[in-house]
Amino acid sequence: MPTTTKPSSREEDGWQTVIGLEIHAQLKTGRKLFSNAKISHHDPPNTHVEPFDRAYPGSLPVLDPEAIRLSILTALSLGCTINPRSTFDRKHYFYHDIPASYQITQHYNPLARGGRIRLDEMDGLEHPIEVNIEQLQVEQDTAKSQLIAGRRTIDLNRAGVGLMEIVTAPDMRSPNQAGAFVRKLQSLLRRVGSGDGDMENGNLRVDANISVNRIGQPFGTRCEIKNLNSVRFLQQALVSERRRQIEHYTTSSQPLQQETRGLDETTGETYSLRSKEDAEDYRYMPDSNLPAMIIPPSYIQQLQSTLPEMPWQTISRLTSTYNISSRDIATLINLDDQHFSVVRYWEDVVSGDKTLGKKSMNWVAHELLGQLKRVGLDWNIDRISPKLMREVILAVEDGSITGTTAKTIIRHCITSSSPQTSLNDILEYLGMTSLPEENLRELCQEAIRRLPKESELIKKGNTKIISRLIGEVMKISSGRADAKLAREVLVDLLMKE
Amino acid sequence: MLHPTRRLLRHSLTSGRQPRVSVSQPTPYSWVASDGLLEAEVKAYRASTCQSLVQRHIAIKENITYRHAPTTCSSAILKDFNSDYNATCVELLLHQGAAICGQTKMDEFGMGSNTTHLPEGYTPVYNPGGPVDDDAPRSVGGSSGGSAAAVAEGSCWAALGTDTGGSVRLPASYCGVVGLKPSYRLISRFGVVSYADSLDCVGILARDISIASQIFSTLNHPDPRDMTNVSSVTRQRAHALLVQHIEEIQRHGGPKGALQGYRIGIPNQTRLPSPHLTIPSELVSYLESQRATVVSVDIPSWTKTLPAYYVLASAEASSNLARYGGGFFGSAQPDGEEGRRRVRTEGFGREVKKRLLAGTYALSANQFDNTYLKALYLRRTLRREFDSIFRIPHPVRSYPSVYESAPNSDTTSSPPRPSSTSTATSAPDGVDVLLHPTAISTAPPLSKTLSSESEYAQDLLTVPASLGGLPCMSVPAGVGSDGWPIGMSVSSQWGMEQLVFDVGRVIEQWGKGQ
Repeated sequence: MPTTTKPSSREEDGWQTVIGLEIHAQLKTGRKLFSNAKISHHDPPNTHVEPFDRAYPGSLPVLDPEAIRLSILTALSLGCTINPRSTFDRKHYFYHDIPASYQITQHYNPLARGGRIRLDEMDGLEHPIEVNIEQLQVEQDTAKSQLIAGRRTIDLNRAGVGLMEIVTAPDMRSPNQAGAFVRKLQSLLRRVGSGDGDMENGNLRVDANISVNRIGQPFGTRCEIKNLNSVRFLQQALVSERRRQIEHYTTSSQPLQQETRGLDETTGETYSLRSKEDAEDYRYMPDSNLPAMIIPPSYIQQLQSTLPEMPWQTISRLTSTYNISSRDIATLINLDDQHFSVVRYWEDVVSGDKTLGKKSMNWVAHELLGQLKRVGLDWNIDRISPKLMREVILAVEDGSITGTTAKTIIRHCITSSSPQTSLNDILEYLGMTSLPEENLRELCQEAIRRLPKESELIKKGNTKIISRLIGEVMKISSGRADAKLAREVLVDLLMKE
Repeated sequence: MLHPTRRLLRHSLTSGRQPRVSVSQPTPYSWVASDGLLEAEVKAYRASTCQSLVQRHIAIKENITYRHAPTTCSSAILKDFNSDYNATCVELLLHQGAAICGQTKMDEFGMGSNTTHLPEGYTPVYNPGGPVDDDAPRSVGGSSGGSAAAVAEGSCWAALGTDTGGSVRLPASYCGVVGLKPSYRLISRFGVVSYADSLDCVGILARDISIASQIFSTLNHPDPRDMTNVSSVTRQRAHALLVQHIEEIQRHGGPKGALQGYRIGIPNQTRLPSPHLTIPSELVSYLESQRATVVSVDIPSWTKTLPAYYVLASAEASSNLARYGGGFFGSAQPDGEEGRRRVRTEGFGREVKKRLLAGTYALSANQFDNTYLKALYLRRTLRREFDSIFRIPHPVRSYPSVYESAPNSDTTSSPPRPSSTSTATSAPDGVDVLLHPTAISTAPPLSKTLSSESEYAQDLLTVPASLGGLPCMSVPAGVGSDGWPIGMSVSSQWGMEQLVFDVGRVIEQWGKGQ
């Protein structure tokens, strides 16, 4: 279970922590929200900038419908209600990172409201909780503003990229729960395909609101911690902010100041950015250049019907059907958390055969993935089709091939460039078709010839070491012999004499 | 001072990109294209075989982007702003073979009504539309004063202006030319520097209605670069309504006349006491002789909506002009907050600053509900009243749009409230067009600009059509007692420019006989 929180100290007993999150997730579309400039993360600064992105006089916004489609999909998978008519507003402030001096966002009529996410044991929580989603709105990202050697530099590549802002209710009670929420949301965004959830590159950013109160007392004053860019930093900030607030209430009679804080990543402590009194008046105003978005119910229904199964739904469905561990399924999911191609592969292999669940999971998750990893290859379904994989597993199960043979077949399939064929063709190609009985007899005779000492001992009644002769038969046959049959033949040969 | 004559010889127009400083007489131009550029441009666009505006010289207002000249909006803050693209309206003209012969002065960012709010180095614009023996320079009106003057003096075939609250119609009236503000959302605003997005319209100034309507049909096209611009489907729906309406009008028999079956309404709220201009009674008689029915109509919120206009226009301006001073275009390179403050303090003129402050105040958290929200509400009320007096229904009113949605007035973060989507209804005993004077007087002398009280009365005549998003055209209708031109405004339901042209032509005809 992932955790970075220290066990709460004695001073923190008797206190309740109340946490709400605001998440900004970049929309994974090809272009910016209101211009045709490409979205790029590593290109040279100011190379993807259209007139609108730099607030050029006379330029106008043109909405990317794909951004709205992905946002609706995300909202639906969060269980939100889509606003049939949503609008864009301007939020005004002067800063270097915002060329127009306003950000286009959805203040009055957001795209969606009122969803929820459930967090439970699978997410590493002892007790399940529900986190309510207050709203999901679409807005513009700002430019990247940096102070380099005393000079302010602006990169407009990020200016105007579409974001979803997802606001939760204050439903979390520990840093652990907050971390679990962010992880679950990341997997949801990846599955829907609306975001990559990458916090390291700032494609997903978290602001956390936190307050503390003595259990049974009303909520305390909240502080907002801005721009947390990893789950670890989020939890670290919440732990230290909780400690700071409790310390304040226990040592001071003054009310706690409502303020916006940042996290010092080197010390793990939060620091004040600005107090509430300094809060800016954003002068929200409808943006007249953008007509209202009317989203017909038929479109919502159509998207609803294409919603993919969420990772936690897949895990619970598969663990309840087959006798397999959720960890193994999670391994398969994580290999392709958007399209679930590996999970689908496994489901095709098992084909609803409940008795084959555990066995096939071993073959896919351990043997096949292990071999791919060893030779440094990526997952690719073309290397060995689910149908062939299933044939191989069934052949092992009914004893028509050995486990060793199966492993050889898998190795052949993932490394050879020849088109895959049926199991029999591959066995033939590899010269591994099981031997007819007269050939086996010859091989056994050869083994006896090679190991005269052991043969003598067996003849004298030491039957235990017959396995050595069987091993020799397997060696001579390169694993093609049927071990069970070989034993019978050997006993027959040795005892007859 | 010598009054500028109606014709201004081409060779007297200097080329170059600096604001023109006239030696002998003030000119309406900021920048005039060289012969070389004009020829090159006409050649470059001579691709199509059926161009309708070949060799036509058209001037554009300084807030319309054009690749070959700085788009300064007559503001010091944009004095070095060179656009690298053409506005859609300019492109459409060029594609028809027209040549952009110059950019015309305006009140800074469109804020003003006499083309007197100009940056340093700009000469004033004198009205060329009066009698030759009148020597006190008079106002051209504004803010598209340069465009109106250029048309009136004959130095261009037609001109583009912009109209936010009357900026095309008022100068047209003062200068004795035709000034059309088309329906909002018909002509692309792409490349037109925003003043108030929900009101701004590209407008047309021309010598007569046939030129104005020819340019209107050149510009009247959907543009995917402007999301507020209506689609072809909507245009077709409006056209179908128009055709159906005209058929119905003409089905009624009776004596024939140019305006047979037309119903013209004169809003009671536009009948202003003397000495303000009124509709000449001879004009009313003439319209009636052409078989039109002229009636009085009442639009109660007409006067109430004036404050709504001031709030909306200045609020939107405070938002749109917030970008200037940031160092992303133009030559100003501000250094931090202090630098931005300096650039904005020095770059904007007095009138602009006044409106920006008013707009910022209207949008502030304490004032928003009481100003901006109420203004949206008043605008919607006015639109309903317009719909109830026109016989022809609004072609798109049943489709809610952003500017019609008032955020809930109780709290600013309450749930969404879809605006009414009731289908528009027409008034069977309603009117087809509205008629009233464009201005309260003829062009005032530049030395005697209007008192704030008269300015208010003046805005009363032009602002309602802007708030309604309706087509409105000022048509020359003779001269006043001082010999200076007067203009009559004809407006109609959204998308019904044809009705405006029909009635306008009769007025134009009457005006020529005066």
